[in-house]
Parts: sequence; C-alpha cells; structure tokens
Amino acid sequence: MRKSVSKMVAVVAAAALVLSGCGGGSGQSTQGTTAGSQDTQSTTAAGSAPETTAAPVSDTEPIKDMVTYETQNREVETFNILYSQSATDLQVLTNMYEGLLSNDPKGQLVPALAEEWGTEDGGLTWTFKLRQGVKWVDINGNEKADCNAQDFITGLEWILNYHKNSSANTSMPMELIKGASEYYEYTKSLSAEEATTMDNSKFLEMVGIAAPDDYTLVYTCITEKPYFDTVTTYNCLYPAPKALIDELGVEGFIAMNNENMWYNGAYTMTSYIQGNEKIFTKNESYWDKDCSLFDTVTVKMVESTDVAYQLYQSGELDNTILTESNLNTIYNSTSNEFHDQLVEMRPTKYSFQIHFNYDKRNEDGSVDTNWNTAIANTAFRQAWYYGLDLTAWYGRTNSINPLKCENNAYTMQGLITFSDGTEYSKYIEQQLGIKDYDGENMRRIDKDKAAELKAQAMEELSAQGVTFPVGVDYYIAASNQTQLDSALVLQQAFSDSLGDDFVVLNIKTYVSSLVKEVREPRLHSFVINGWGADYGDPQNYLGQEVYGEDNAYYSANYSNANDLTEGEIVDIYKEYSELVAKANAINDDLDARYKAYAEAEVYFIQNALAIPCYYNIQWQLTRVNDYSKINAMYGIQNNKYKNWETSVDAYTTEQYDAIAKAYEEGTAN
Amino acid sequence: MAKYTIKRLLQSAVTVLIVVTIVFLLLRLLPTDYYFTEDQLMKFTDQQKHDALEAAGLLDSPGKQLIHFYGRLLHFDLGESRRIQHGVAVTKVIGSKFTVSMRLGMISMAISLVIGVSMGIIQARFKDKIPDYIGTVYTIFVNAVPGLVSYSLVLIFGSRVLGLPSMYSTRKATESSILPIVCLAMTSIAYYALWTRRYMVDEINKDYIKLARVKGMSTKTIMVKHVLRNAFVPLAQYIPASLLLTISGSLLVERFFSVPGMGPLLTDAINRYDTNVVQALVMLYASLGIIGVFLGDILMMIFDPRITLVDKGGTR
Repeated sequence: MRKSVSKMVAVVAAAALVLSGCGGGSGQSTQGTTAGSQDTQSTTAAGSAPETTAAPVSDTEPIKDMVTYETQNREVETFNILYSQSATDLQVLTNMYEGLLSNDPKGQLVPALAEEWGTEDGGLTWTFKLRQGVKWVDINGNEKADCNAQDFITGLEWILNYHKNSSANTSMPMELIKGASEYYEYTKSLSAEEATTMDNSKFLEMVGIAAPDDYTLVYTCITEKPYFDTVTTYNCLYPAPKALIDELGVEGFIAMNNENMWYNGAYTMTSYIQGNEKIFTKNESYWDKDCSLFDTVTVKMVESTDVAYQLYQSGELDNTILTESNLNTIYNSTSNEFHDQLVEMRPTKYSFQIHFNYDKRNEDGSVDTNWNTAIANTAFRQAWYYGLDLTAWYGRTNSINPLKCENNAYTMQGLITFSDGTEYSKYIEQQLGIKDYDGENMRRIDKDKAAELKAQAMEELSAQGVTFPVGVDYYIAASNQTQLDSALVLQQAFSDSLGDDFVVLNIKTYVSSLVKEVREPRLHSFVINGWGADYGDPQNYLGQEVYGEDNAYYSANYSNANDLTEGEIVDIYKEYSELVAKANAINDDLDARYKAYAEAEVYFIQNALAIPCYYNIQWQLTRVNDYSKINAMYGIQNNKYKNWETSVDAYTTEQYDAIAKAYEEGTAN
Repeated sequence: MAKYTIKRLLQSAVTVLIVVTIVFLLLRLLPTDYYFTEDQLMKFTDQQKHDALEAAGLLDSPGKQLIHFYGRLLHFDLGESRRIQHGVAVTKVIGSKFTVSMRLGMISMAISLVIGVSMGIIQARFKDKIPDYIGTVYTIFVNAVPGLVSYSLVLIFGSRVLGLPSMYSTRKATESSILPIVCLAMTSIAYYALWTRRYMVDEINKDYIKLARVKGMSTKTIMVKHVLRNAFVPLAQYIPASLLLTISGSLLVERFFSVPGMGPLLTDAINRYDTNVVQALVMLYASLGIIGVFLGDILMMIFDPRITLVDKGGTR
C-alpha cells in the first residue's frame, strides 16, 4: 500500500520538478536547518504592513550566480556529513551530498537517490530502490565512482563504529535499526586498529541493513517505524564512498576538506576560505538533470546582520534578514528605497515552548520549594496558559505582524498532515477550541478564565504555604543587549497579564552556556526553547516530554519531570506518557496514529505541562522566492539551492503576498 | 653577546613551557561538558559522552595528559583541531591563516611607521601650532571613537564613495585589502604619532639641544640627527614585537571585513573549547612576544650605543 503510494508520489514529484525547472536561483536563510533545539528569540521591528506596488512575478529575470551570506559565528566545522550534528554545517553540506530521499516546498517526501521506496509490513522493513548512474565526483567535477547501495552500508558502518565517528549521529540509528546498538558496543570492545581495518562482514551480520544488489537497500527496524522513510532525509543515513576512505585513510576521511572530498550532491564547493567565503559550483554530474540550479552560489561570511544589510544596499548580496532597527528605519520611512520591498519570512522549523522546571534549585543548590510547589499546581500553570499575553513580546521578533508568531501547538506546524489534507497543528488547535487569527488578539487568551484560575491557584497554594508573588527566574545571556531588551518586554508582559501579586519575573544572566550554567544546575523556572524535528512524526516532539525516559530530552533536561516521584503532576505526566505510548503503538493506520498523538498533545497542553510559545517569523529584503525552497519541518534538506525561484529585481511586498497566497491555496508552481 | 643570547633563549624557552603548561592545566580543569557542543549535549547519552571523553583521553589524570602532551610536543605534533576544522592538523589550521594576517599587518605597520612617525615629528616641530592641533585632534578621535564605529565610517566612505570592495576577497586581494589596511593603520598611526611627539618634545627641552642651538646647528639637523634619534629609542624597543605579532592579526578589523586571518582564531578556539588550537596559539604568541622583546632590546642597543645588555666588568 505504502509502496504504491510512494510510486505515485515519485511520479507526481518528478512532474513537479520538470514543471519547476523553469525557475531560477535562490538565496539563503541564516536560520538553523537541522534537528534539535533553539534557545534564542530573534528580533526585528514594528508597525503595520506597507503599501506596495506590484510587478508581475512571472516577468522577473532569474539570478544565475547567487550571492548570499552567513554570519561568521556560523562557520562550517567539518566536511564529513556523517560526523556533523550541527545545523550550521548541515545547511552547507546538504548541497554537496545527497541522500535517499528529499523534500519538496510543501515538505512532502520526494525521491532523491532512491527512485522508489516502501514497506510492506507496517514499517518493520523498508526497501529503497536506488537510481542508477549516480556518480561521486571530485572538486573539479571529475567522476570518481558510482554511488550505489554499498555506499549506504559504508556510511552506516562508519557512524556506528565507535572508533571512526566519535559516537556522533548514533542516536537515531540505534533507536531505529536492528542490531545498531549491539554493533556500536561490539566495535567499542575492539582496539582502534581492529575496528578501523576490519571488513564489513560482521556489520552486515549484526545490523539490519542489506543490499541484495547494488541498487536495492533494505533496512530492518527494531519495531515497526512507519516514519522511517522520513529519517532518510537526515544525514545519519547518508552514503560514504569506500574508495574515498581507502584513498584518504580513516584519519584523512575524518579531516577531509572541500578539495579532497567526493561529492554526489547538487554542487561542488570550488572555493572555501574559512571566515571569508564559500563558492558552490553546479555539479554537472548531479543526478537530477531537470532541476534548476545556480551556476554558482557564493556565501559570504559577514560580521553581523548589520554588515549584511550594508552589503545588500551596495548590491553585493541578494538577500538580507533585517534587524529590528533596520526594519524600523525602512518601515517608518515611506521614501526609503526598500520600503516597498519588505518581505515577511516563513517560520523556521522550530516550535518554541515555555518549558517549566518542576525541580528547581536556588543558586546555593537548595531546593526552591516555593516555585516547585507552585508550578506543580495545575491551576497555577493554566492561569499562565490562558492569561499570559505575549503580543508585545512577539513584536520583538515581528513588529509588523506580531500575532503571526503565536504558537498554539506543541508539534511544529507543517510537520505532518492527515490523509484528508488537514494539517496536524491546525487539528490540535481545533481540538483545543483556539479562535481564528484576527491580527488583534492572542487567540488562546481568556482573561476571565485566567482570573478564575489565578484565584484558585492562590487559594490552593497559600494553603500549602506558598508565598506570593512567586519569583520566576528567567535566564538570558549576559552582555546580550538584544536578549535583555526582549526579557524586559517579557517582564512587562508578565506584570500586565498575570499581575505583580501573582508572579514576578526575575531576569538573571549566564556567562556563556545556558546548558552548563543554568539548565544542569536547574536554576531556571522556565526556559523558552524551540524543537526542530529529526523526522516526520509527532513522536519526535511528544516523545521528548514523556515521563521516566532517559532519552526524553525535555523531561530529562528541562522540566526534570523524570525526577518527580509523587503528586498530581506525576499522575498527569504518567497519563500523558501512556497516551503517547498508545499512539506510538499504532503503525498500520497513519490517520489513527496521528489522532492518537493529537489526543496526547491536547491533554499535554490543556494541563499546561509546557505552554506553546511562538514561531520565529522575521522580515527580510530578498531576490529569492522562499516559497520555492524546500520547506520540510524535519531533516536537513531545507537549504538546498535547488529549484529556487529568484529575480534580479528584489521582490516587493505585494508580490510576496501574492506568492504566499498562491502557496497557501496550493497553486504555487 | 653570544652567551647573553643563549641565556636569553633558554630563559625564553622555559618561560614558554611554563605558560603552555599553565594553560594546558587550566583547560583541563574546566568541566568536561565544555568538550561537547550544545547539540552534542542534547543528543548524546551519558554513556556516549563518557565514550567520547575516553576516546579523546580526557578521562586520564591531568598529569598523564600533560606527559602525553609533552611527548607529542617533542615530535612537533600539536594535535588536531576538534571544532575549528574537525580533524585537521592544528599547524594546517594556523598555517592557512597567518600569512594573510601577516601581510596585512606588515603593510599597515609600514604605513603607520612612516605616517605616524612623520606626523609626530611635524607635531613636535610645530608644537602648539596648527599642524600639532590637527595631529592631536586625529589622535583623540581615533582613540575616543569605538573601533567598530570608525570602521563603519571607513567602510561606508570606501565602498560608496570610492567604490572599493566592502569585504576582503582572495580573488581581489589587493583591492579588497585597502579598507582593512586603512583601519589597521588608523590606530597605529595615532599611536606612533602620539609617542613620537611626546618623546621628541621631551628631547627638545633637554640641555644638549639648547647647546646645539646655541652652537648654531640648523633646526633640521637638530631634529633629525639628535632629537629623532634619541626620541626613537623607546619606540624602537617595541617595533620587533609589533612586527612579529602582526601574525596574530586583529580581532575587530578581521571580523569586520571578513579577513580570513588569525585575529578571531584564539577567541573562537576558546569559545569552542578547541584545546589543541588554544594551546598552539598560546605557545606561538608567547614565543613571538618573548622573541620580540629580545629583538627590541637588541634594536634599542643599536639605536643607542650607550645601552648595553651584558655586564662589561670593569669598563666605565
């Protein structure tokens, strides 16, 4: 069933690619593109949407040589895609390597090196039919070898070999693929020389991966994993050419660079000057002959977004994100040359939540009983959920349309859809009874209900000895003025929404690492953190909050719920965890699976175990149509410079609005 | 002299070793969590963290790690970078950058010396007159205005008015080096002008200059042969160190113009806990600093033969 669907998807996608082949080039975003979490809030400026004049989008001339930028603190650390776990690296490397599957601008899976794929046993075994004629090439585009199923075996062996990949990227294969953990432990028991010189017979014997022929790849999962195909868009299942490892040696392969590596992706990197610029050049041997690629893409490393704006002004860049001050300057001046070119970006792939800490400590290491007792009270948390108006705070990210940043689900919008086309996060909103967007008020705010819950919480908690107002410790990076400004706005929002008699936000600072200085010593009352998915299934979101699992990221590291042993809050967590487990057990009916996850998510939000917070939507000036880019809410495909529509003249606000509207209506081409 | 040189070199080697050892031990005293990126901290299990630390030898005692480090040092092996360029030899990481910094640094230093010293001479020669006021205003401006602001002014003027590249580019190295060199030289010119003027004014007021005037020597001869020569002695001491340390680059200027040099390397390496790179840079900068001071002493001796670095016994 899934196989036939996949074939259809492949045909439709191929047609779409042909149709979109008329597109031009593209730009780039400085946002993270890989899985994981984000702690910071981006800031831009304020006002109301500018009036613009439109030029027909279809008349625009595409860019052939794209010039974009990245800030210098986001420099590549490795060219070995099997090793990297960093969004900064992967948004570069995704252009140089190709995996089994990719995504389209709607986030749907599309064929890449695999032409067909599917499972016939509910997700236990997955078969990928690889396309023939794919080549590994060197920096000059000279063909070096065929890329086939053996390369995927080599790649996975490399990742799971303790002595080769420093344990990087092992977590997902070990969670998903049969025998992966056992092989990792086995290689650990070997000496480095043994582990790096042995052939792969033991690997094939132990691990659930096989290549019946050079163009067929079969993975066997530990249990049914109906989302396994989405994992192939992530680099932990990428190929590696054995001949290159033989040529460079293990140490050389670890340290390979753009000059001695082999490429099977859309571009080769013909110039790399650390801290200065990278130049990608179209790979003439790239498998997808129908797609549109730039002749070259130059990525300039700039000191800051302000410098990027200066370069954009002088015509040296094709896009720039706008800082709050630059956006305000342009927006508030109708005579500004860029006033009509302000363009709202699409959300990044991170769904930000307010994550409470249920086992908070004071700075002297003692338990913060006042906070821990208060936050364990359901009415206390729900008063935040219904009462905390974050509109002004959203304005720090998007001052023109602040309420577009409002997030009312835990799972990122666009991650998955039901078979009838209903988007999952919209379904969650429906279940929660969230109002429609009106651009005026936060949709979940219910002041009367919040007041009732506040009174209830104060009564219940006072009886338990909690003193009011409850101190709420919120940490920001020291000497970061942007974060301080945002925190002050947040502090005012707490005061205005919840009242100074209820809670008081204390802004505190850490020096360099939130994880090491705040999260690990458990000093935070809450942290605003965004999760970006590794794969396309709600389990990747909701599984991070289950009770009693060491691998549940938020339960183990942020909420510290795993350390709770008694009380109502534990019962709520257990109930939630059971709902997640129940959903995860449904493997034969995706709609039923998603509905079961939705039930768990709604329960989670209604009990305000964490509170949905915001989406990161900024403003930019650009010659790139973001709606033509790959836009998946998981994996590493998003920054691939492929099939991007561009215009040598910057897009106007009106053009972009039309493009966005067409996209939403499903008519974008 | 040879004996003195050998003695100084040995002292220098011991000093460098002590500095490197202290830095090595301090880095090892940091919590091992700093070894991991925030991403890795998020994704690694405790066992994986333990495995990675074990493989990197960071679970050994500091003493054992230090002995291992000395052993590698004897073979001129500074190890591999872990974060700046994963797996790449530290020497290669540094080697690819220092020539860029050195080239820009040396050009800017040459310009600074010529313009700065000339400016100082003119200011001293025309003390309390218009040229002196102009020089003073420039010096105050450069020192009072934050670097990034003055660099922005240079960038805007250079790129919009003169049409120069805003960013450094290896493909247009000459053209794109102009603005970074101007920014580098701006501060140094002020430094050399300030101190040249100050030392020259000091010398001008001394008795031997008054005597030279009374004896009828021309102002030009007095300024060049006597005043400048004596005023330059204290400046000369710092020139070799400044010259050698051009290798270290400039953090602000290189970041601002995206120059792929050494400037940001040390701070980046510290921020990313790339210990091998930190250690190599500390060793390099300490060595250059010490050699620079030594050469400065020699240069000072050449400029002023009255200065001796060795005990001459019964000589008077």
